[in-house]
This record gives sequence, structure tokens and C-alpha cells, in this order.
Amino acid sequence: MARETLHGVAVSAGISIGKAFFINRQSRRHIPRETIPASRVEYEVDRLTSASNTVRDEFEAARSRVPEELREHGAIIDSHLMICQDPKLMLAAATRIRERGITAEWALEQSVESIAAAFSAIDDAYIRERIQDVRVVAERIMHRLLGAQSASRALDERMVLMAHDLTPADTIELEQDKIMSFATCEGGKTSHTGILARSLQIPAIVGVEGLEEQVRDGELIIIDALRGRILVDPTEEELADYSDLKYQFENYQKAIIRQCTLPGETVDGFRLDIQANIELAEELQSVLDNGGEGVGLYRTEYAFLNRKKAPTEEELYKEYATIAQSLAPAKVTLRTLDVGADKMMNMQEQLEEPNPALGLRGIRYCLKNQDLFRMQLRAILRASVHGNVAVMFPMISGLKEVRQARYQLNLVRQELDEAGIPYNPNMPVGIMIELPSAVMISETLAQEVDFFSIGTNDLIQYSLGIDRANKHVSYLYQPLHPAIVRSIKYVVDAAHRAGIEVSVCGEVASDPYCIPILMGMQIDGVSIAPQAIPGIKRIIRQVNMEECKQLLRDVLSHATVSKINRKVRQTIFKRFPEELTFFASLLDQDD
Amino acid sequence: MHTDIMEHDGCFSATIFVKNELGLHARPAARIAQEAQKFKCELRMQVSEQEVDAKSILDILSLAAGHGSEIVLTAKGDDARQAMEHMAQLFHSIVGEEA
Repeated sequence: MARETLHGVAVSAGISIGKAFFINRQSRRHIPRETIPASRVEYEVDRLTSASNTVRDEFEAARSRVPEELREHGAIIDSHLMICQDPKLMLAAATRIRERGITAEWALEQSVESIAAAFSAIDDAYIRERIQDVRVVAERIMHRLLGAQSASRALDERMVLMAHDLTPADTIELEQDKIMSFATCEGGKTSHTGILARSLQIPAIVGVEGLEEQVRDGELIIIDALRGRILVDPTEEELADYSDLKYQFENYQKAIIRQCTLPGETVDGFRLDIQANIELAEELQSVLDNGGEGVGLYRTEYAFLNRKKAPTEEELYKEYATIAQSLAPAKVTLRTLDVGADKMMNMQEQLEEPNPALGLRGIRYCLKNQDLFRMQLRAILRASVHGNVAVMFPMISGLKEVRQARYQLNLVRQELDEAGIPYNPNMPVGIMIELPSAVMISETLAQEVDFFSIGTNDLIQYSLGIDRANKHVSYLYQPLHPAIVRSIKYVVDAAHRAGIEVSVCGEVASDPYCIPILMGMQIDGVSIAPQAIPGIKRIIRQVNMEECKQLLRDVLSHATVSKINRKVRQTIFKRFPEELTFFASLLDQDD
Repeated sequence: MHTDIMEHDGCFSATIFVKNELGLHARPAARIAQEAQKFKCELRMQVSEQEVDAKSILDILSLAAGHGSEIVLTAKGDDARQAMEHMAQLFHSIVGEEA
């Protein structure tokens, strides 16, 4: 066994074996919080100035080398550059050294905290968050003060980069071709470290607990960014196993990418629509590159968040029309705004909701804010003439919400008719089935809409009454809980009796263990993350409908999750031993 | 559009309306502080009761001047007139346009 196994969130898949190389290490350092004699005051001020000048020079050097594809980073470095020379930070720290007779480190720390206190009182959440930039910059200056070498000490061989966190400047300063993989203490799925790793196509794990404490500089480690594990000081045997795994994974990835444009069809000719979930128009390329046959879920929230004013209809229309046009004749399903009042703070008065997950969100929010809702519907309808566009409503709990939403849609159609603006009068209208109440009345709902999309992530949470992000109950997040399997099957059957299509979006659909069960129910399609498409297609292309139906019957015959999971694991693993080595499954969580 | 600059005892001032959607967020704040630092004179910005140093990005950010706010910019000292002309122009191009 390796000396330590650490866990984190894998944000860019792959395996990497190499020596750890630390930058920005925060632990094991001592900030001298001391008073100094008057004779040393000017010396401390000089140290502070020279540290901040060094950092400024580093930022300027990084700024001049920002590649075109990372120009967003350039803007961030610009503001960091201004912060590191800011009078409020640096002049204030120098004044503290002089007036209080303290070390440069302590003065800097105090200045940051006083800025943080001032910022925490600002109403605007965006501005309040900028304190993070101040901390990033101050951290760099602190490093120089404490006598650390430059972050960009030369890499003489390929290394596994380890950091408390990585700033855009860090990543530009480093020689990227010498970085085999990343691991950081901070960060989550959407942090820019993950985006960077994916664009460089190297493995990365973020949010690793104990990274700085457990790993020594230069130590041999294995980054398993298939399962989000780091093995510190592995044994010979582990090294051999992982070298094999790495080799197999890289070959496997090449192979599935080559085949990803083939249809998602079983050996006996049952065809499944394989679409992608995206939230930005920029992701379209990755949908096409991974063999996506359309966009089954376009999350429209992005244009509404992190800004002070609602987007204009024109802006949304352009966004939707561009997507429809680039995908045509393939379909794009636009989900109307699915946010809670808790996230819309910049535009609307913020509601005090004790339980936002059960609060004013999804379609409820839209029906309360009808002007905003109709504005979005107008943009969607106008875009519908540019391609194959469908619309769907999230968080439907009952029939009335469907009728109210459709009523708003009809109002917009009339407006467009009167104004002589073209739209597709036959644009399909669907709903998300993600609440247990919608499952139970799916038969009735199916009479009112053109399609269903089952949102399993929310359906599992609302059905089992657990918050998946809550570590005390996350073990209860069981996609194959008998109640969940039966709910999905119930909805699929209701849809088919009414003659409408039903697809599944949510992580279950991209889980190699679960996909054959969903196929056994004869769902019409799935919508999953673009990167998951090649692997899922490969599984679908190797099964036949009869074995999927048999697996479903087996699953339905068991009463407990553990029996179901065991049965599914055994069956699928026997069937796909190679592929499943590379997939982390939702069912793995209980081991 | 032209921003009116007032002069009183060698002290210059101008009123700027924040018309762009995002207001004075990080990027414009960085630009303003950067340009302000090129001048020797004292440059200050005031929004309602709060007055800050226009040469400090952190000070500017702490104003949280959103869409619709009114900023009074003042310059006092050696190159105040020149600074004010330059800064008024800059403000206009950064936050003066409906975008």
C-alpha cells in the first residue's frame, strides 16, 4: 500500500505518475508576528517594497506572455498588477510598520484583514468577492517576504504540479509542457484550474484534503484522475498496475474518440438519441467533437447570473439563434430559466428563504416574474425559425404550472403574430420530470406536452429527501434505489402510452452501470455531458435489448439498494471488464 | 457627449453618470487607477457620502458604484487640469456608454 491515499475531485480525466513539485505552499510556514526596534523600521519597509516590486515584475512578465486563448487570464493579471502596488494595501502596510513598529509580514497581514473587513460590508456580491484577488496577491508578496523562491523556479523535468491553489499568473509562468498533471487543495468542478487542465488535456484533481501536509516535495506520487485519488509513495506493485492502467486508458480514449460519430445503436438495432447538456454556446464544438447528436439540455441560466441587470431579449435571441443555426438540422432543447431566488440577487430583491431548494425557483420563479419569463420565451420563439428548437419548463410540480406556462407562451405567440415576427408555430414544448409529484401524475402531464425529460439528479434528491452536497447524508444518494428505478420506469411507460418521447438527463444517464437499465425501459434518448458521450456510445453499441430488459427485470425484483448495486456491478463488470476500469460509477460510492 | 469640467480655486471637478450595465467593476476600476497613477495631482472620487482615492483600485472597488450611480471626480495639484481632462474622457469611454 502507498503511504497515503488522498481524495479529491477529478476535473480532467487520466492517470499520471511522477514527482511532486510544490508551489505556493501555505502550510509549515511561520509568519513572524513581532514588534521590531525603531532602528529596523526602514529595513522592514524596504523589504516590503522590494517584495511587492518583485511580485509586480512577475505579474508584468506573465502579462506579456498571455496566450490568445487565455486572454481572460490577462484581464485578471491586470487587476492583480494594480492591487500589488495599491496604496490601500502597500502604503497602509508601510504605515503600519512605521507607526506600530511591527514586521513587514505582520503589517501586510493586518492590511489585508482590514481591507477584508471593509469589503465584507459591501452589498454588491460581485465586488465583495474581489477580496479573493487581494488575498491572492498578498499571498504572493508574503511568499517573497518569507524568503521563498519564485513560484516559477525552473522545472528541469516533467513534474506533477501541486499547489494550495493556482492563480492564472501561476499557470502562465510555468512551462506548461513540463507539467504532467495538477493537484490543488482548493477548487471545485468549475474552477479555472479544471478548465485549464482540460484545455491542456492533462489529468487534474482539485479540492484535495491534506495535500500540503501529506506530500513532500520531490516525492513520487500517482495521480488517479479517473477516480479522484492520489497515491503518495506507492509500492512497486501499485506503480506497475497504474502504468498498465495509464497505457490502457490512453489507448482506450483514442479508440472511443475515433468511434464517437457512430450512432448510439445496440447490436440488435435499437437506436438511442445521444444528446449533450451544455450551458455556453462555446461548448458546441465539444458537443460535435464528442459525437453529440444535438443538445438535449441547454441551461439558459448563465446569461442571467453574475450581472446586475437582466439580459435583453435581443441578446438572448442572438445567443439562441446562433446555437440553433450551428446545430441545425440537429435539435437544441432550451430549458427556461431554472434558478432560485437565492441566486438572482443582483437583479431582484433578495428573498430570505430558509430552504431555497424548496423555495421560489424554476418555473415557480418564472411564473412570479412573468415579464422576465415572457421576454425569454419571445427570444426562444424568435430563435425557433433558425433551426430545430424545442423548449422545456423545469421544476413542474403539477398540472396548473404547465397550463400557466403554456398560457404565457401563447400570449407571446399572439404578440409575435401581431407584430408580424416569424416563429415556428409547431415548436415542441416539454417539461422536466424531477419532482416526485410530477412522477405520480405523469400520465396526466403527458396529455399536455410534447415530450418529457427526466432530471434524475433532482429527482433523486427530492425523492430520497437528501442534499447530495451534505456529507452527512450523501451516502443515501443512491441512483438505483428501488423507488428511483420504479419512478423512472413509471414515467417512461406513461410517456409511451401517451405517444410522446421521453429522455433522461442527469448523471445516471452517463453512468456505464446505469445506462443498460435505462435502455431496458426503452427510453428514447439521453442527454449527458459532452465528454461522457464517447464512452456511453461505446457501451450502447455493444449490448442488445434483451440483456438490458433482463437486467431491468433483475433490478426490479430486488428490494434493497445493496442487492441491486451488487447485481448490477457483477453483471456489467463481467460484460465490460476493460471499459469499467476507467469509469468511476455512481454505484461505487459505498465502498 | 462632453463631460463638463468645473474649476474653483485651482480645484477641478466633474460629474460622471455610470451608464454601463456592470457599473464600476474590477476591470474598469483597474484601468482608472492605472491612468490616475500617471498624474502627480491628487485625484478623488465621491459617490454620495463616500470619498476615495482614484489611484487605488481597492478604494474604487469599495465604492461599489453600480449602474445609475453618480460619481464626482475631483483633481487638485500640479497637473490637475490635464489630469481632469484625461480622466473625464476615460470615464466617459469606460462607464459612460450604455452597453
